[in-house]
Amino acid sequence: MKTLTDTHISLAHGNGGRYMRELIDGVFARYLSSSSGKASIDTESDAVLLDDIKGPVYTTVDGFAVHPLEFPGGNIGSLAVHGTINDLSVAGAIPRYLTLSAILEEGLEIEILERVVQSLAKAAEQSNVRVVAGDTKVVPRGHGGGIYFSVSGIGEADPGLKLGMQHIQPGDQVIVSGTVGDHGAAVMLAREEFGLHGEVRSDSGSVLPLARSLSGLDGVRFMRDPTRGGLATVAHEIAGVTGKRLNLVEKAIPVNEAVRSICEILGYDPLYLACEGRCVAVVSAAVAETVVARWQALDEGVGACVIGEVESGNGDVLLQTPIGGQRRLEALEDDPLPRIC
Amino acid sequence: MDTVARNFTLTGRVQGVGFRPFVYRIAHEHDVHGWVRNTVGRVEIHAEGNVENLEAFRHALIAEAPPLSSPLIEFEDSSELENKRGFYILPSDTVGTAQIHVPADQYLCPECEAELQDSHDRRFRYPFINCTQCGPRYTIIKAMPYDRANTSMDKFSLCERCHAEYQSADSRRFHAEPNACPDCGPHLSYFDPQTMIEADSGRALDAAVEALQRGRILAVKGVGGFHLMCDAANEVSVIRLRKNKHRPHKPLAVMVPSLGEDQLDGIRQLVEIDSQTTMEQLSGPSRPIILLPKKAGAMTCNEIAPDLSELGVMLPPSPMHLLLANAFGKPLVATSGNISGEPVITEEQEAEQRLGGIAEGWLVHDRAIVRPADDTVMRVINGRPRMIRLGRGTAPVEGILPFHLEQPVIAVGGHMKNTVTLAWQNRFVVSPHIGELNAVRSMDIFRQVIDDLQNLYQVEATAIVCDLHPQYASSRWAHEQDLPCHQVQHHRAHASALVLDDSTDARAMQEIGLVFTWDGVGYGDDGRLWGGEALLGKPGQWQRVASFRNLRLIGGDRVAHEPWRSAAALHWELEELFPGNESEKLAYAAWQSGLNSFESSAVGRLFDAAAAIMGLVHTTSHEGEAPMRLEAIAQYVESADSLPFKEEDDLLRIDWAPLFYAMKDNTHPVAYRAGYFHSLLANTICSIAGHFSGKEHLDYVGLTGGVFQNRKLTELTTRLLDGAGIPYRLGEQIPVNDGGISYGQLIEYSAIHENIN
Repeated sequence: MKTLTDTHISLAHGNGGRYMRELIDGVFARYLSSSSGKASIDTESDAVLLDDIKGPVYTTVDGFAVHPLEFPGGNIGSLAVHGTINDLSVAGAIPRYLTLSAILEEGLEIEILERVVQSLAKAAEQSNVRVVAGDTKVVPRGHGGGIYFSVSGIGEADPGLKLGMQHIQPGDQVIVSGTVGDHGAAVMLAREEFGLHGEVRSDSGSVLPLARSLSGLDGVRFMRDPTRGGLATVAHEIAGVTGKRLNLVEKAIPVNEAVRSICEILGYDPLYLACEGRCVAVVSAAVAETVVARWQALDEGVGACVIGEVESGNGDVLLQTPIGGQRRLEALEDDPLPRIC
Repeated sequence: MDTVARNFTLTGRVQGVGFRPFVYRIAHEHDVHGWVRNTVGRVEIHAEGNVENLEAFRHALIAEAPPLSSPLIEFEDSSELENKRGFYILPSDTVGTAQIHVPADQYLCPECEAELQDSHDRRFRYPFINCTQCGPRYTIIKAMPYDRANTSMDKFSLCERCHAEYQSADSRRFHAEPNACPDCGPHLSYFDPQTMIEADSGRALDAAVEALQRGRILAVKGVGGFHLMCDAANEVSVIRLRKNKHRPHKPLAVMVPSLGEDQLDGIRQLVEIDSQTTMEQLSGPSRPIILLPKKAGAMTCNEIAPDLSELGVMLPPSPMHLLLANAFGKPLVATSGNISGEPVITEEQEAEQRLGGIAEGWLVHDRAIVRPADDTVMRVINGRPRMIRLGRGTAPVEGILPFHLEQPVIAVGGHMKNTVTLAWQNRFVVSPHIGELNAVRSMDIFRQVIDDLQNLYQVEATAIVCDLHPQYASSRWAHEQDLPCHQVQHHRAHASALVLDDSTDARAMQEIGLVFTWDGVGYGDDGRLWGGEALLGKPGQWQRVASFRNLRLIGGDRVAHEPWRSAAALHWELEELFPGNESEKLAYAAWQSGLNSFESSAVGRLFDAAAAIMGLVHTTSHEGEAPMRLEAIAQYVESADSLPFKEEDDLLRIDWAPLFYAMKDNTHPVAYRAGYFHSLLANTICSIAGHFSGKEHLDYVGLTGGVFQNRKLTELTTRLLDGAGIPYRLGEQIPVNDGGISYGQLIEYSAIHENIN
């Protein structure tokens, strides 16, 4: 195996020559080749044949531009895998393969890239998916954020999960698999280099076990992972598409104490901050307890609980406040302005 | 003398106020023959008699009109003789253009009050006694025309005797739509876990009084909504009420028994009443809550209005409340039955759901409340009670504009303390206080009131006016409607509302004013947050001519409840160390990087900062807590110091820095520093007024925006303006806080879009 002599990415690493070969072999192929040797990343061909996929196929694509590249609880590598397989999982698919396109910025420390690709590989292995194709480009200094990833995912349909917002009924329960806002808060703190509050970690992780645990259970209507815009945005998507009303109970929504305290200081609402390892499910009242129990039995879902209910209505999301009031949870604003002070 | 005939058409408030029986009576007094009838919104009279008698009749029509009415002669002409013998009340003519009036709910008239106390009267101690001169109106009317069938009294059939009164033009109850007696009208019920008294007003009242005596908290259904009540002297009950209502500090209003010749003896034991106008307001038919200086050693516990020097008091607002308060015999806490910031609750079922964790007993009645009207709140400034919250008894506020609108409009107000204003032709109507529009229930009532006002007045708005702030719930609603939508900047709305506070003052629209619009936040023309502005000009042409130095604040809407953030921001802006722990360090780091922060020129934040710097508050539980505490503790300070200001970007920029250092100066006691704070701001207004009156023609200085609910600041400022010989305007009818925004939006919109000159 060739080892890299350079310490930083240069434009030469993207020009198709020897340096690029070194980078691919020394970083990407090195970590992404399976130890068992089967279906490893093919760095020689332009395309790869997948001949062992059964039935209808799910596919998805997701871009990753998180800043900073590394944050407590993960980095852009693990995030790229989790983000992509979570999109497949909540749609009712079993993720099988990923392809990876990397845009690197001139000047990036190769050490960082190695750490990132290493955790990307580890995350893929843990979820039993393989990165089967890849591409690398280098952009001049100042034209990129160190590393951008674009990841496509391919998965097989899980016949035990028939999901869709059209199945959602009044009376259905809304369940979340754990605390919300951890990823958003962790990344924000890391980005601003506030240096404090080490106890806030991203929840970056796979929701595949959560989704799989509900396979075959009647009454599971819909799942989604609350990423950008957080839980509030997922709630708005559900209410908006179904035309029904979501009635959430503020006290019931789990929020990590450290996240809550940071949100209080900075004036953020954790319901709008991203999660990267949580799942929101809408299920019939009859199976709500079962779903919570199955999730709580998994490492990924120990914090699972019912947070609200679907009601007939007009597309609003309501929040029962701790003092017994009821307020409308607004859709995420680009630039929220104070209204009450 | 020859007999002649004249026709009169009267408009103004002439329906639902006993006007026709009054006309009938004066016709007989002056030997006038003819008839009177209601048309839609008007009263028509045909009068025959000799010239002298007709003239006396005409004079009496206006001069002796019933207290609740306000007639205007719209049209008057000589007519053919019909040679009628006698005077008749003819059936209503239902055809005609809409000149409808919806009266506000009124306390008992003296006649009904006498009957209520008369053991021989059939309505002795009947809690729902009323007549054409008094009783519920706005809160029971479902639709127009104002007939019993269109009120929530429709389910009670009049008994024979009540029906006879209703039919008799001689009776005070002739067409008194809510007419009722113990035989046929609504009744009180009382229940608690041990007791259940249904539809027996006397026993229900007794049980309620007993429960109050035992320290229980009662939910009491009134005229425009529920109150939560308890013994104001029972500290344990008051503390429990505060805890369960999640209202740790906000002052509670007190309902006081009606005692003595002028009814005010009970109130005088609690507070200082400083003027005749205040006395008249307190005992008048609208029965407002008025904030007045506490008396030492008063019979209420300290928990009622902690750390404040004033107490909100009211006399019982209805016969039911009178019976309850006077039987209890001592002051009762009477706070709105609602979740903080939401409209007052009107239905039993919702009350049980929302107030179930607070109320320990229920005094209710079976007359439905069609729409809420919370208690009216006023504060005395410069000797006159001034509107803080429009509500039961004072709203809907009806008035005549000094101009004519091309098309009917609805102005939907702000986001906090929301009211809405409907206007058409030369008329306007301002709704009662609705609430903070964050809440779902507030938005439900907001939509209901917008629909109801248009239905009641039979006017359909063809344009909407809303605030410039894109994220106000009222603005969002406005933009969703399929109607042209006009935006009015928040502080211009404040200024224009002040100009036409007295809507009959047509001249005011043309005067040049320098209006200080100081409040907590309003979205500015430049997308920044304003709140320390001075506007020069007149409605439709306001120029922003002065503003405060901007302050960068972190934390979004949390800033409103956490005065420490304003204090911290002042420190950081001036590169001073703000003491604190990890939280403050994180906040500072975020402030430096501009994370989730905004710039504001609001004076409200300076009050917050001052209160926090002096250790009065750190975080607060209700809006206005910091400025109220600061005002309460402020002593009078003789000083001519003013904040510096200089020209910058076409306006005067006022620098708050000296204010910061004065607040930090520990060598003076807090009361002195708080007083100096008020003095600095008052002197600054006066200096800026002086600056402009030297340069431009200036008819007056105006003071509006929530900051000028502050009595000490306002009185100090007006004294200085008086000294400088500068005339000024203060709000009186229309709240200077955001409750006046909808009315101001209407005036500002009209000045811009309607040809009103």
